[in-house]
Amino acid sequence: MPAAPQSQPRLQVEGISKSFPGVRALQNVEMHLQQGEVLSVVGENGAGKSTLMKILAGVQRQDSGSVRVDGKTVSFASVSDAMDAGIALIHQELNLADNLTIGANIFLGREPRRLGLIDERAIHRESARFLKRIGLSLDPGTLVQDLTTGQQQMVEIAKALSIDARVLIMDEPTSSLSAAESERLFDVIRDLRSQGVSIVYISHRLAEVQELSDRVTVLRDGELAGHLAEDQITHGNLVRLMVGRDVSRVFSRTPFPAGKVAVEVRGLRTSTWPAHELNFAVHSGEIVGIAGLVGAGRTEVLRTLFGADAPLSGEIRIRGQKLTVTSPVDAIESGIALVPEDRKQQGVVLDMTIRENISLASIHRTARSGFMNFAAERRQSADMCEQLRVKAPADTIRTGNLSGGNQQKVVLGKWLSMKPHLLLLDEPTRGIDIGAKQEIYQLMDRLAAEGIAILFVSSELEEIMGLSDRVIIMHEGCITGELSRDQLTEQAIMTLATRQASAANVQN
Amino acid sequence: MRGKILGILSVLILLCLFLSMATAEHWYEPLSSKFLKLDNIMNLLSRLSLYGILGIGVAFVIITGGIDLSIGSLVCLSGVLLSILLNVNYEAESTFAVKQITATQQLIETTAAAGEIPSDSIVRFTGGIGSGVVFTIAEEVSPGVLRVEELPPRDEPEGELTLAVPVRSFDVETLTAEISETAAKAGDQLQIFLPNGAVSVQTIVSVSADSGSLRLQLERDPGKKYHTGSYAAVLRRDQFMPIPLAVLCVIAITAAVGLTHGLLITRLKLQPFVVTLCGLLMYRGISRWLTGDNPAGFGELQEVLGPVASGRLPVLLRGDEVLFGIPIPFFLLLGLATVASVFLTRTIWGRYLLALGRSEEAARFSGINTQRVTILAYVICSVMAGISGMLFAIEFSSISPSSFGNSFELYAIAAAVLGGCSLRGGEGSIPGVVIGTAVMMVLYNLIMLLRIPQSLEYTIIGAVILLGVLGDELVRRAAAGQRLRQDRNRN
Repeated sequence: MPAAPQSQPRLQVEGISKSFPGVRALQNVEMHLQQGEVLSVVGENGAGKSTLMKILAGVQRQDSGSVRVDGKTVSFASVSDAMDAGIALIHQELNLADNLTIGANIFLGREPRRLGLIDERAIHRESARFLKRIGLSLDPGTLVQDLTTGQQQMVEIAKALSIDARVLIMDEPTSSLSAAESERLFDVIRDLRSQGVSIVYISHRLAEVQELSDRVTVLRDGELAGHLAEDQITHGNLVRLMVGRDVSRVFSRTPFPAGKVAVEVRGLRTSTWPAHELNFAVHSGEIVGIAGLVGAGRTEVLRTLFGADAPLSGEIRIRGQKLTVTSPVDAIESGIALVPEDRKQQGVVLDMTIRENISLASIHRTARSGFMNFAAERRQSADMCEQLRVKAPADTIRTGNLSGGNQQKVVLGKWLSMKPHLLLLDEPTRGIDIGAKQEIYQLMDRLAAEGIAILFVSSELEEIMGLSDRVIIMHEGCITGELSRDQLTEQAIMTLATRQASAANVQN
Repeated sequence: MRGKILGILSVLILLCLFLSMATAEHWYEPLSSKFLKLDNIMNLLSRLSLYGILGIGVAFVIITGGIDLSIGSLVCLSGVLLSILLNVNYEAESTFAVKQITATQQLIETTAAAGEIPSDSIVRFTGGIGSGVVFTIAEEVSPGVLRVEELPPRDEPEGELTLAVPVRSFDVETLTAEISETAAKAGDQLQIFLPNGAVSVQTIVSVSADSGSLRLQLERDPGKKYHTGSYAAVLRRDQFMPIPLAVLCVIAITAAVGLTHGLLITRLKLQPFVVTLCGLLMYRGISRWLTGDNPAGFGELQEVLGPVASGRLPVLLRGDEVLFGIPIPFFLLLGLATVASVFLTRTIWGRYLLALGRSEEAARFSGINTQRVTILAYVICSVMAGISGMLFAIEFSSISPSSFGNSFELYAIAAAVLGGCSLRGGEGSIPGVVIGTAVMMVLYNLIMLLRIPQSLEYTIIGAVILLGVLGDELVRRAAAGQRLRQDRNRN
């Protein structure tokens, strides 16, 4: 229920610009938000969404431009300034002290006091009130570490409400939520909207944006690409504004010619889910997707295959040969490569150059008695940067300065020069813009055509359905089913992803 | 990185310039300053070498993102160990324990086996009242029980017999002695028992064998005119270990210490700070216990070892006098620094070290055995401390186990940080560390030369390091700001 257009906007942003060393993050951006409205801000990675939100929340200051709240020009020197004006930002990475209780987190830094001591009873009472307002029936005395990610997200929202926030900025709130948890969150958002709270919603998931938004503001390369009113919000319009061109076919999967079994897993038990034995195989040239909710044990399968976690039992065969993998060193030697979910921590060394990252896993192959072969390193890096179209002025710049998509290409470049038999990818397009996503999809398709077996985990059903020749569905640590390409429907995947394995499926 | 090195290098040059002017009689004549005196420069280079080796070692650990607090104590331990392993002893060729002397029967009961002390041989008794008495053996009554020709002064319950040989002749002019044949070699000592009961100990310079006797060239005149008719025993020189073996042993022991640190830190995931703090306490304690808290040194070997630590390779000579010589340890520093720098920048292990220092997890996920590389860094650090510790001990010639090497770890860490190592890990260069050490040494020199109260030493060094780090941060921010402005102008 958007407010009447003639009313004073709750939040009005005009001519905002902001630069960082080497990057122009925002250029003359304009945006406005009415009372009781859900405004989605979308754009590819690096489009400037996060910077704009940080400016609104007082984390950073704009170089120029004005922000008005209820018609009054404001200038935030700190987060608490923004909070005082009723603006709260909920970060993608939650900022909760997980060793404290829900109540203590909600009132952190603003504890009600009695006689100079923290008034625990008031905290309990007030927290319960806010939790109830968002429909969360939890004891405020529960420790945050005992909550699910979805519940923690709700605590963040309760915390924002407790400071009487009238503008709530949510940065990718569903990125680590299951489908059910996301649905709950949407209900809460709609509920808050009806209570008059204005919400700025940032997401990569265009389906959510379509479902939730009253209006959409699209950013591209730090500039305003356009606004969409409610009836204009379609997938096509969104993508066209974000990318600046039509993206007709995102997925391209050439049919899979049956190859030999590349990897066979028998009776594998991971340390997180010791009760379940996993059996599956991936053929060369085949792309197999693993679908399931967050926490279904998908990442654990990849980590165990890669040797990052030790398996409790089971057998892994690569091209018929039995393998004992106790560390990534063994896995890589046997031709298994992993593109990890946590790109910044595990995928690349942010503080090293592109070239150093690309060569990191393979320098020992070109080295002569331990001495670096710099010429080979340079050739390899140049070759990979060209093949993968890494967008950077030179391969000697810091990898941390690249966009997510380009960082992911560097991770892929690191492995491709080693010609792996099995490529494992964990959420390969998380936090990556549409253009780079498409390039990675095409690359996966090409690699499979070259005979590499690909096993990937994704939480995006679109991706699973668009790329996989076969899909393995997991639920709470066990494989609940397997679907071939012609059996793939959203319905079928979700049914398997949310139910316990039947006896027949376990034996599969 | 290059910018950091240039920064610290310019600090070093400015400090040297300032010190040259401040210690000269007139500021405009810096070449005549106390600071630039050749002796001072030589000393400075010598200290730089020893501390520099420590700094290079700890830089490896800092690059992994760890820390090593134990190196000061390890310096002490390796000095003490070297002293113990090189310990020189002189022992008589054959000695026998005495069980009982019965004076009235002229019997000596010994632990010797049958025939070990033949009739007519000469023995000298030590222990108890009769110490120094020389007996001639009359016969062996039963195995180990001897009747002697002289009357012992009294009964003795215990003591020791040393088998001696007659001195056939002694030439005071040529300092040669002739004794009945026995095993003796150059370097052994000859103990001459003079008839008046006195003992003269001589070092044997050379030995030549005549028919049935040995002619010994001795070091000096025993100081008594009357030598014939006296007896002598050869004291065999016994060095616990030859020098190269002792050095290798110390290196092996320190490597084992580093290995232990590394294993505890990587396998058991203990914090480097805690592990090496415990090391700091333990190695200090072990050093004090091994020596009984007494000063340790190298005795007569100091002459042999000394040049390694305090020798100079002459550069400027006036006649035979060395005006300026480059300290030998400086070459060692250059050698080790070159090897370390090549290792860090040109080998895959150096690359691995830098990678895991920045992101251990990403390195591990790239198939690097990060545990092994981390352990290697701790081994390098401890071995460098060991090498440096031996050199320090030789340079100081006598070390006191309770204070030797105290807070050296802080000097080394400070030098590494000044030289551009980040305590967050993943950053550092060996030339930087050497220059950082030089800054520390010049600062120390400044305190001495400007007669600043020694009690202020730590305050000044601390303040300068803080300023250095602060300056580095400000320069970094200024550079970032300038880039930002340039970008804005371009847009």
